[in-house]
Amino acid sequence: MTTSSMFLPEHLYRYMIDVSVQEAEPLGRLRAETATLDQAHYQIAPEQGQLLTFIIEMIDARRGLDIGTFTGYSALVAALAMGQAGRVTTLDVSDAFTDIARRSWQAAGVDDRITLELGPAIDSLDRLVSGGQGDAYDFAFIDADKEAYGAYYDRAMVLVRPGGVIAIDNTLWRGRVADPADRRPKTEAMRSFNSMVHADHRVTPVLVPMGDGVTLARKRG
Amino acid sequence: MSPRTITMTDALHDYLVGASLREPDVLQRLRDETRTLDGPARMQISPEQGQFMALLARLIGARRVLEIGTFTGYSALAVALALPHDGLIVACDVNEEWTAIGRRYWSDAGVADRIDLRLAPALETLAALESAGEAGRFDMAFIDADKPNYLAYYEHCLNLVRPGGLILVDNVLWGGAVADPARTDPSTEALRALNRTMRDDSRIDFSLVPIGDGLSLARRREA
Repeated sequence: MTTSSMFLPEHLYRYMIDVSVQEAEPLGRLRAETATLDQAHYQIAPEQGQLLTFIIEMIDARRGLDIGTFTGYSALVAALAMGQAGRVTTLDVSDAFTDIARRSWQAAGVDDRITLELGPAIDSLDRLVSGGQGDAYDFAFIDADKEAYGAYYDRAMVLVRPGGVIAIDNTLWRGRVADPADRRPKTEAMRSFNSMVHADHRVTPVLVPMGDGVTLARKRG
Repeated sequence: MSPRTITMTDALHDYLVGASLREPDVLQRLRDETRTLDGPARMQISPEQGQFMALLARLIGARRVLEIGTFTGYSALAVALALPHDGLIVACDVNEEWTAIGRRYWSDAGVADRIDLRLAPALETLAALESAGEAGRFDMAFIDADKPNYLAYYEHCLNLVRPGGLILVDNVLWGGAVADPARTDPSTEALRALNRTMRDDSRIDFSLVPIGDGLSLARRREA
């Protein structure tokens, strides 16, 4: 979520967008439609979408897992980046938001590459794990309810292959993680999640100060 | 160059480093020694950027890397540690004094044999590599040197990395100067020109990451 990279002053942020972001047309249309919602800030920033595209192309990913669909932007990013052979599994609980998602995928002609699982993401992930999908995904993107990040990460670690990438959004949580006085549950959840990843030697992680903070973790081979 | 992500608050930057940095001891010691150089110490990349570059090297399974601008050898060491045993970095710089510091730490870390330091103007070294048939033989290149030559370095790197290989360019946000129309010095103008070129260059996939002083990532597309 978050619509911009908040760690830059406005004029520099605008410059960065001007010289680096080229949002594909279906993504731009979906962003415009999502902007009319009260929850528009759930959507990732366009530069984050471009970084995801870059990583997907870099590791030549074919199968992606998207935890937290919302109106479908990140799933659409992944489907476009992977091309015709790519397959995205995306998880959400909301009918209303994912209706917007489905329409945008259809309009972009990539709906056959995307499988939407409606229901609690933990249940869907457990089904994938027990259904023999371990090591079957090249990457996972986690952007959903913050208190469950640890549980999503554990499942993603099983489902993503060695050498694959788990990307996690909002890890700087609007800067609140750095304020010791902020003890709100989501802030605490994000802090303990960050500490857990930092200490997890099954991955090579990096916290990128883009958008609201995105952590990239490579599962070791 | 630039020790931290621009304009982020100090408290948030401290948090980011504390919550995500995994800096091997030898890199930390090199950073400490470089800091004693005073003025030029800011030419060193930030440790979180080094960690990011090492991650990228691992993600593409890089074996052969080209570095333009070595300084005291931090970025070369961070990346060398992420390469396989038969990995190679061709490192270009003109300064013997600074690179001598790097050599000591490369030896301490046991990766000196992976780093081939070429002390000469980088444009000469790059042309020599091309004449030696090295075009398309590098997996990754990192540009962090004199800004007025960035565009020329970029063109050489596009020739020297393989399709699917990466070119990383440091300092592309240049402390924010690129967004300030009043700044028209040669380095700022050169960075602006390169940023525009990369944005419009259909030979690459592209992402600008606001880590450190701004790091552009380019992936050479298949022809």
